[in-house]
Amino acid sequence: MSDAVHEFTLDALEWHPYVQPVDLQKATPEQLDALKVTPSNTKVSAYVLVLAQETEMLAERSPLFNDIMYSDGGLSRGGRELGALAASFVNHCIYCAQVHANRFIQLEKRPEVVDEIYTNGLEADLGEYDQALFNFGVDLTAHPDNVGVYQFYHLRETGLSDLEILDLIHSVAIFGWANRLMHTLGEPHRKD
Amino acid sequence: MTTETTVDVIDKVLGLGPSSPLLALREQRAKLKHLTQTSYVAALHPADPRNFSYAERATLAARMAALWTSQELLTHYRDLATTEGASGDVLSIADPAWKPEDEASRLAVILRHVDLVTKNPKAATRENIEKLYAAGLDDRDIVTLAGIIAFVNYQVLVVAGLKMLRDN
Repeated sequence: MSDAVHEFTLDALEWHPYVQPVDLQKATPEQLDALKVTPSNTKVSAYVLVLAQETEMLAERSPLFNDIMYSDGGLSRGGRELGALAASFVNHCIYCAQVHANRFIQLEKRPEVVDEIYTNGLEADLGEYDQALFNFGVDLTAHPDNVGVYQFYHLRETGLSDLEILDLIHSVAIFGWANRLMHTLGEPHRKD
Repeated sequence: MTTETTVDVIDKVLGLGPSSPLLALREQRAKLKHLTQTSYVAALHPADPRNFSYAERATLAARMAALWTSQELLTHYRDLATTEGASGDVLSIADPAWKPEDEASRLAVILRHVDLVTKNPKAATRENIEKLYAAGLDDRDIVTLAGIIAFVNYQVLVVAGLKMLRDN
């Protein structure tokens, strides 16, 4: 088995849990329902099978995550991915960062933004719009007890509407959640 | 928790009345708002609390709110802890300065994990999960604990962000 990866990377990764995932063959009807397993959809990640240990929470969490990241209108998909990436960099969730950095590149076709973040981390020097989103995401993640009003005004000055700011807040916050599961319950390995 | 399932906790702690512009904004994301509330119930008062009592869940949440000096959520969770019947050591959990006398006890190990993953999640390693197993937690307990910590931290961030929108 390949070694665990502890540095940020854009390479394809596989998440290996520290705790026992639910055995799909022995899953209860409630677990199967929360896992959204159907005869045509039997592929479930190790991560989701771990979370299925706690079915009631998983059943709410999956649709919440999807709505925050993919709902119509408001902040662009790429903007939400940037919020996710800011949180994942602060919380050092290698796997989350890899997935959402690649998704940002796919959506925005601007790999240079991700390159700059992967090179300079929290000190990344970005264009004005991306910088405003990234800095707010970093600040909210690192100090929810002391978010800089300056960072907030920066968002407003960049022209974000209240709905777009709300979407950014949620995308950062849901990664405050996701990072605390993914980074603490397992670790990534490079795909062979 | 009959009222808690019908009243939106985040609206309540931020004092968002029917005429609040921020309430109207939140309603533009009604599905997400609803799922945030149902996630709150799933974390704090699930149908089957198993090895984490409702009182313990509420005081753990109060402790996390205190760690981030989220005064609105701290007040809410202290009240919830009382409603859920917290007393003695369980009530003390809400104070981040408090430690159980037996540092090897299940509760002491859980609190060290809660404090670490709340304030400094990047420092968590496999060893931290091994400590939870050694203290007697099983697979599901560990996922339950992780879920409670993750949800409350999400809620702290949402409240902090919404306060910026409310006040600026």
